[in-house]
Amino acid sequence: MSASASHAQTVVKPRWRIKPEDRATFFFLLPIMVVFVVLTLVPLLSSIYYSLTDYNGFNPEYSIVGLKNYATIFTEAELLHSLGFTLLFAISTTILITVLALPLAVTLNKAFYGRSVARSLFFFLGVPAQAIIGLIWRQIFSPMKSGIINQVLDLFTIPPIPWTSDDHWAQFCVIFVGVWMGTGWHATLYLAYMQAIPADLYEQSLIDGANSRQQFFHITLPQLVPCVVVSTFLIMTGNLKIYDLPYTLTAGGPRNATMTITQAILLRGTGQSQYGVGSALAVVFTIVCLLLVTVQQLVAGAVQRRFE
Amino acid sequence: MTESRANSLPRRILRTIVVLGLAIICAIPLYYVIVSSFKTNTEMTQHPFALPQHWDLTKYQEAIADGSIWLAFGNSIVVTFFAVILQVAVGSLAAYAMILKKNWLTVGMGAVLTIAFCIPVQSTLLPLYQMEGAIGVVNTLPGLIALYLVDSAFCYYLVVGYMRKLPMELLEAARVDGAGPFRIYWQIVLPLIRPILATVVVFQTLAVWNDFLRPSVFTTDQSKRTVVLQVYNAVDTFSTDWPLFMAITCIALAPVVVFFLFCQRYIVSGLVAGAVKG
Repeated sequence: MSASASHAQTVVKPRWRIKPEDRATFFFLLPIMVVFVVLTLVPLLSSIYYSLTDYNGFNPEYSIVGLKNYATIFTEAELLHSLGFTLLFAISTTILITVLALPLAVTLNKAFYGRSVARSLFFFLGVPAQAIIGLIWRQIFSPMKSGIINQVLDLFTIPPIPWTSDDHWAQFCVIFVGVWMGTGWHATLYLAYMQAIPADLYEQSLIDGANSRQQFFHITLPQLVPCVVVSTFLIMTGNLKIYDLPYTLTAGGPRNATMTITQAILLRGTGQSQYGVGSALAVVFTIVCLLLVTVQQLVAGAVQRRFE
Repeated sequence: MTESRANSLPRRILRTIVVLGLAIICAIPLYYVIVSSFKTNTEMTQHPFALPQHWDLTKYQEAIADGSIWLAFGNSIVVTFFAVILQVAVGSLAAYAMILKKNWLTVGMGAVLTIAFCIPVQSTLLPLYQMEGAIGVVNTLPGLIALYLVDSAFCYYLVVGYMRKLPMELLEAARVDGAGPFRIYWQIVLPLIRPILATVVVFQTLAVWNDFLRPSVFTTDQSKRTVVLQVYNAVDTFSTDWPLFMAITCIALAPVVVFFLFCQRYIVSGLVAGAVKG
C-alpha cells in the first residue's frame, strides 16, 4: 500500500480497498505466519515469562522471582558444566574439522584412483543419524577390558583406557566422534566451492612457475576464505545445539562431564521440576545463538567485501 | 611442468594409497557394525575384526521377530513424508508471496523469518511440550509432525533465492492471460522450481528421518517410536546382546545408505545452498 505505483490509483479508488495481489500475498503467507506464531513466538514468549517465575511445570500456583533463575544458571555446578562442555565441544570441533577438512578437500580434488568412492565414503560418515552413530561408538569406546579399542591397545601392551567412564576421556570421545562425522561433510562443502575457482588462476600461476604448495596458499586458500567463514559458522551454530551425540554416546556422564545445554534444559524443565530454571537457560541460549548469527553476518559481509 | 609432476603416475599411486588407506581406517566402525551383526556374543568379543565364521542371520531374525522395527519404519515414513511435504508447501507458498508483490506485509514477514530462522528449537521445547500436552497431541504422530513445521523457514530460504531468479515475464504472461495467483503458483512456479524442490526435499528428508531430539522428548509410547528411537531403545533392552543391537543398527542404516547412494548429488546441493544462506 505504501508502494508509489499505487499512488495514482488512490485518487480514483477508496484508500481502504485492498488490491487482489496484496490479498493473495496475505493468504500465501498465512501458513508460515501461523507456524511462526504457534511454534516459535508463543513458546519463546512463554519461556521468557516462566524464566522469571518459580514454576515447576505442573503446579498452577507459582510466583514471580525476578532474575533469580538467571543467577542460578551461573552459580550451579551442573549448569556451568553443561555450558562449559557445550562451548568446548562447539569450539574444538570447529577448529579440528576445519583444519582437517581443508587438506582433505584439496587432496580429494586431485587425481587418484577410486576418487569418487573415497569422496562418497568420507561424506557418508556425516549422513546417518548422530544418535545411531553415538550408540555405535559407545560400544567401540567401551571402557572395559573387552572394549574393542582397549583390545587393540592390548596388542601393543598399552593398559586399557577408561574411555567413557573418565571425565576427560569421555569429553575426548564425544569430540572425536563429532570430528569423525563432520570432517567429510565439510570437506564436501569445500570441494563444491573449489569447483567454482577459475581454472585460469592455476594456469597463470603455472606459467609463473608456482608449485602446488604455493598454489594452495596463494590461490586455493584465499579463494576459499568465504567458504571457510561459512563452514566454521555452520559447525559452530550447529554444534552449540548438540544433543543427540553426547546423549547416546555417554548419556551426559560421567559426573555431567559431557552434559550439554540442551540436555540441561530438558532435565530441568521435565525431570527435575525446575521449569523456571530450564526456561532461563533456554532464553540465555537463544540470546547466545542470535548474537553468534549477528557476528556471522558481519564477518561474512566483511569477508565478501574484502575478496570481491 | 608442475601440473604434470603433480599428476604423474607415481604421485597418483602414492595419493591413492594414502587417501584410500585413510578412508578404510575411517570406515572401520561401519565394517565392525556389519560383521558383528552376523556373530555371536563370544565370537564378537574374541575376534572383533575378523569376518564372521558363519554368515549367521539369527540376529536379524531376532531383530525383526516382534515386528516393532517395521512399526518404527512405518512411523518414520509417515512422520518424514508429511513433515517434509508440509514444510515444502508452507515454505514455497511463503516464498511465492515474496516474489508476487512487494508490500509492507512481505517485507515485514521477510525480516521476521530471518530472525525466526536463527532461534534454536531447544529454546521452545519446554513450552511446546506443555502446549502439545494441553491439547493432547503428545505421543501422537501428528503432534510430532507439527513440530517439524518450524523448518518451513529453512525451506522458505532455499526456495526464495531460487524463485527470485525465475524469468518474471513467464509469470506476467500468465497473469495477462487471466490466471489467478494460485494457478500461476501451481502450474507455472512449482514446475519451474523443481530442481530446488528436489534439493530441499532430499535434505529435509534426511534431517527429519535422523532427528532424535524431538521423538525422544515427545514420544514415550512404544508404538509411536521412530527408527532412530527404536535403535536407541534397543540398546537398553538388549544391553547384553550387542550382535543383536548391531543387526538392528544395520537394518536401520540400510535405507539411509540406499537413499545416500541415489540422492548424494541433492544432499551436496542442499548443503551448499544451506551454507550460502547461513
